[in-house]
Amino acid sequence: MAAETKLSHTAAMILQAIHAGYIYGFSVMEMTGLPSGTVYPAMRRLERDELIRSHWEQQSIADAEQRPLRKYYKLTRAGKATLEASQKRYPLLTKLIPTEANHA
Amino acid sequence: MRIRRFANVAPVHLMLLRSASWLVPGSQRREWSAEWRAELWYVLQRSSTQLSTEPQDKEDAIAFCLGAFKDAFWLRRNNPLPKAHMFFQLDSARQCGIFLAALTAGSLMIALLLPGPRNAILRSPYRDGNHLVLISPDGYLQANSPTIPLEQYEEWKHRTQSIFTDFAFYRPTRSKTQTTGHQTPTLSLALASDNLFDLLNIPISSLELNEARTEHRPALLLSQTAWHRYFGGDAQIIGRVLEIAGQRATVVAIVSDDSWRLPNHIDAWLLEDESRLAALPPNSLGYILGHVTKAASAHETSGQFHMLAPAKGGYDGFDCVSLAKRIRQPFSVFLFALMLACLALPATTPLPLGDYPTTSKSSFSRTRRRRWIFLSIKAALILPLVYCGSLDLAYLNPTMNPVSSEYIQLLASFSGLLFSFRWALRDQRRRCPVCLRVLTNPARVGQPSRNFLGWNGTELICGKGHGLLHVPEISTSWFSTQRWLYLDPSWHSLFHESYLPTSTTF
Repeated sequence: MAAETKLSHTAAMILQAIHAGYIYGFSVMEMTGLPSGTVYPAMRRLERDELIRSHWEQQSIADAEQRPLRKYYKLTRAGKATLEASQKRYPLLTKLIPTEANHA
Repeated sequence: MRIRRFANVAPVHLMLLRSASWLVPGSQRREWSAEWRAELWYVLQRSSTQLSTEPQDKEDAIAFCLGAFKDAFWLRRNNPLPKAHMFFQLDSARQCGIFLAALTAGSLMIALLLPGPRNAILRSPYRDGNHLVLISPDGYLQANSPTIPLEQYEEWKHRTQSIFTDFAFYRPTRSKTQTTGHQTPTLSLALASDNLFDLLNIPISSLELNEARTEHRPALLLSQTAWHRYFGGDAQIIGRVLEIAGQRATVVAIVSDDSWRLPNHIDAWLLEDESRLAALPPNSLGYILGHVTKAASAHETSGQFHMLAPAKGGYDGFDCVSLAKRIRQPFSVFLFALMLACLALPATTPLPLGDYPTTSKSSFSRTRRRRWIFLSIKAALILPLVYCGSLDLAYLNPTMNPVSSEYIQLLASFSGLLFSFRWALRDQRRRCPVCLRVLTNPARVGQPSRNFLGWNGTELICGKGHGLLHVPEISTSWFSTQRWLYLDPSWHSLFHESYLPTSTTF
């Protein structure tokens, strides 16, 4: 996927949220305020376009904490490049969802 | 990945998520189901830690679960290989043929499994069906209940006949009997004259029958179903003496279920000799079966006739319908519905299939032959499909009045045939004449207000690049029906073999 891929504002927000450390579906929903029916398909599209990657956590960790398995998402290199381009296009993104680097 | 159920997840949430997961393509279902369930747990967890009110918790969780449906629909729309969707689109001729064949096989299997439709489909078990008639008084032609008193049978039996050679009588009733399991089920019993099965030409072992006669006991015949249901298929039942209808009767035979096509469902037949039958009240209503002489049946070729018989103070009218005609009746109804559907078809869709220009002589005749073979296959599969389907509907309930069943069959056959033929013609018109695939990418061309100045209608294209179809919006004298335009082979490079319309997102 080329670094110049143009994302919708919603997709850019989701990418920014994952970049900011909200790395599973529900936390992205909470952070962005988007409904589940929007967030999960959008994350699947981002994954299909290789902007993010997902993996299930180990069963033993979930069992130890007595909760269901989580699926975590992470930005790929192409995803980071696309996010940088999107941040230029949507300057408020970093203010809406600040990362730790922005805080510092 | 293991999917576990957690305590705070309510059954209604799980049910919603499960329903949504059925909309997800099979290959991705498990993964999506797991992710939704995991995320739902967090939704519920968040609600409980934020001291929110209980209705708010429920609303959040329900909103999340409803969101899963949105995900599922998105997945269906964007599935790169939507197999189920493609199947129902019936794009290729083969898919269409397989789908129709599967439907036909399904309806035929249902018809063979249900007793009513099965009897309507199978051949007549009576070799002499053209000479056997069921007699009913005027106005009771298709009555589903007994209509003739026993005294009428007795009178005809002992009178010299010119039309009939013999009569048989049976009266349906219900009676309890003791089975092998010491139970006393109530059976549908026919009290019948002892020549009933001789007249129907259903063979019964004469050894057991003679034994019963010598012991002056009535003979009892059991239907195959009753034998299995009430006597556990006991192989030693023949020759056993059972108490039924206040008499001790000897079981002499098991009658195959397919052998009985006369009115009323019967579990057992008690064959009474003339003296026992005469002991019944004279006004007991039953059915009379008559065997017509060859000369009389040759005269009445329609299988049905009306007769007058002397009665007190004049003559009574009776209708006689041959068993062959009774058994053929569902097929006759279907043929009538077929004729009506063929007459009504031009009112629902135009009959012409379009103009297909001649290319090289051999390839044109080949494609034309393929098109006609495909249309014939569709029609050949539609006929048994609708016939069996209409029988399934009409004879689903065996206790239903035969007249009602005939009306249901007529209505179901007519509407089924009409809409199926309409679909077959419309489907034929929207297919490529070369590869027989459904044409795609409809495009509106021209303006209705300029119809008489230029061409106005819809253009469709073959996904494999064989040509374009022009369908006029309004028929004119110079463009009355759809026209096919073959594309030159130089166009083929623009088309891909595995052409599939895709939807883009973002």
